[in-house]
Amino acid sequence: MTRSSVKKCLGKGMVFLAVFFLVASLSTGQAAERVITIGAPLPLTGPLSPEGQKQAQGYDLWAETANKAGGVKVATEPYKVKIVYNDYQSNTPRAVQLAEKLITEDKVNFTFSPFGSGATKAASGVSEKYGMPTIAATASSEEVYNQGYRYLFGTFTPNPTLTEPLSDIVKEKVPAVKKVAILARNDLFPLAIAQCMDASAKKRGFDVVFFEKYAIGTMDHASALTQIRGAQPEWIFATGYINDLILIRKQMGDLKVSAPVLTMIAGPAYKEFVDAAGPLAENITSASWWHPAVRYKGEDVFGSTENYNKLFREKYGIIPDYAQASASVAGCLFQIAIEKAGTLDRKKVRDTLASMNVMTFWGPVRFGETGQIISLKPPVFQIQKGTQVVIFPPEIAQAKLLVGVK
Amino acid sequence: MGGLYACIAVGFSLVWGVLNVINILHGTFIVIGSYAAYFAYIKLGIHPLLSIPIAAAILFLLAYAFQSGMINKVIAAPVLTTLTLTFGLDLFVNNLLIVAFKADYRKVILEHPLGVLTLAGITIPVDKLAAMGLALLLTGLLFWVLDASRVGRAIVAVRMDREAAALMGVKVKKIYALTFAIGGVMAGAAGSLISLIYPISPLNSLPFLGKAFVICVLGGLGSVPGAMLGGLTLGVLESFGALAFGPEHAVTLSFITLILFLLFRPTGIMGKRGYE
Repeated sequence: MTRSSVKKCLGKGMVFLAVFFLVASLSTGQAAERVITIGAPLPLTGPLSPEGQKQAQGYDLWAETANKAGGVKVATEPYKVKIVYNDYQSNTPRAVQLAEKLITEDKVNFTFSPFGSGATKAASGVSEKYGMPTIAATASSEEVYNQGYRYLFGTFTPNPTLTEPLSDIVKEKVPAVKKVAILARNDLFPLAIAQCMDASAKKRGFDVVFFEKYAIGTMDHASALTQIRGAQPEWIFATGYINDLILIRKQMGDLKVSAPVLTMIAGPAYKEFVDAAGPLAENITSASWWHPAVRYKGEDVFGSTENYNKLFREKYGIIPDYAQASASVAGCLFQIAIEKAGTLDRKKVRDTLASMNVMTFWGPVRFGETGQIISLKPPVFQIQKGTQVVIFPPEIAQAKLLVGVK
Repeated sequence: MGGLYACIAVGFSLVWGVLNVINILHGTFIVIGSYAAYFAYIKLGIHPLLSIPIAAAILFLLAYAFQSGMINKVIAAPVLTTLTLTFGLDLFVNNLLIVAFKADYRKVILEHPLGVLTLAGITIPVDKLAAMGLALLLTGLLFWVLDASRVGRAIVAVRMDREAAALMGVKVKKIYALTFAIGGVMAGAAGSLISLIYPISPLNSLPFLGKAFVICVLGGLGSVPGAMLGGLTLGVLESFGALAFGPEHAVTLSFITLILFLLFRPTGIMGKRGYE
């Protein structure tokens, strides 16, 4: 080996060593930053992608806000938060597989549930099997929580908490209402809420003159609406998702089907519904688990509903709805539980969640025996002049119920 | 609904009948047509009934490019290959639409709604009536083009016997691309008309495609009058099903009819043997 080749070899060796130490120092720096990972199986593509992306927005805002505020404090150590997303493509069996993968392969510290009651119920067995504290941000059906599981918690109250106050208000404010017509999408949540409405109405002496289901993917509601018009109800209650409800409202207008009270769940809570239905959205009543008009001061990282709305608008340029806010509060609840427990130990965090009694920007949070929230009073709202305004509960009401739709 | 259903299905039926390609992209093409009409109305103030040529032109170019650039390369392969290709293209284009327009639902809200017409106690929305009339007119126009024009005769010839048509001097590949583009034109026109009635979202492509399938089987593959008749039949069946058995069974009735047709008359109402 010549002198020059030895020099070359040495030179290369030095460069290699320099790069090695640089990389090593960088990775040591990274290792010094402690991170809490939370797994989130979500339908980021496919038919449920609008809902999945809303949930992701809520999680991201919480993670960003928590990290900016110094992270989550475990005992005295600050930890950064990282959400690990897995897209289950709107396919429930895949959601279950990914929930397990997040625990076993990605080794996340905690998990969020997939979207909606159906997928949450399907995946809940996985978190129970691994003793993984899991918060469901968008599951309301009681069947999800009454399985005897200990590690599942939910931020939505049971479905009747939406239909009961609605029925009370209509009974009190619109005495002319005697007959109710219910048109429900034949799907898990829309049908469950319609059945609750049926029970709430009958309990108050209303006559349910029409109760029909329509198939998923129905493109023409003219026949059902003609039948409703024939039954002459004073209250029409329609359930479905944005697409269905825009079409039903449009066809109601076309066929001159009207009533003093028109309630729709779960479209009117979204701005997209109000934009797409235009003037036809006026005076539609609805109920949801949360509304940006509620005003709570909380001990979470956002501090208050006003601040949450402000940060959300700054980041996304829109007003948050209940799905996004629920996802954010799910993150806050993990943060509060971890900080109170002072550890990342799953069982201790689970126990802290189970005994939690805190005020948040979402409202008061206390979980019942089954893990479902029992402390929340969902608001009833109405679309007036193109905006959703709260009409119940009285302490946060912004307007009175207006009667009649065009 | 029947007229609109015919317009939804006719392009799909033509492509299937002539090219033997099950065009999974068809639903997404309709959605693109709806977006064209939506933006023409929002940005330029053009009424959706008048923006049909814009939507049709966009879809003509897009469909021609897809066919001549990609689908023609595997056109001789078994039907499963072309189906897989259009399925893949659909996933790609549909997700592009979600990225571009988000999965939100939008709606054309006319500044001056067309109102309703009451005839013998039956209330009919004028926008739906106009959309149905135009849909039937466009379908009739396509029938006339296929029947009377030179290109139309070439398309029919290719449908009947590809080799014989080629021997007669018909440029088969060009006819394939043109037929696919005409399918796109009809999808674009349907999308424009539909924007008056339905909310618009990339997620709506699948229900449109499902309807097109049913109508093709009912009416007969590759037949324009068949698609028209199939569309009308489906519209009547759904309305009748909803009235007689409740709205949840409207779709059930149409699919039971579909199964019966597949079992006992796979060529459909107006299809010819060999095109089932």
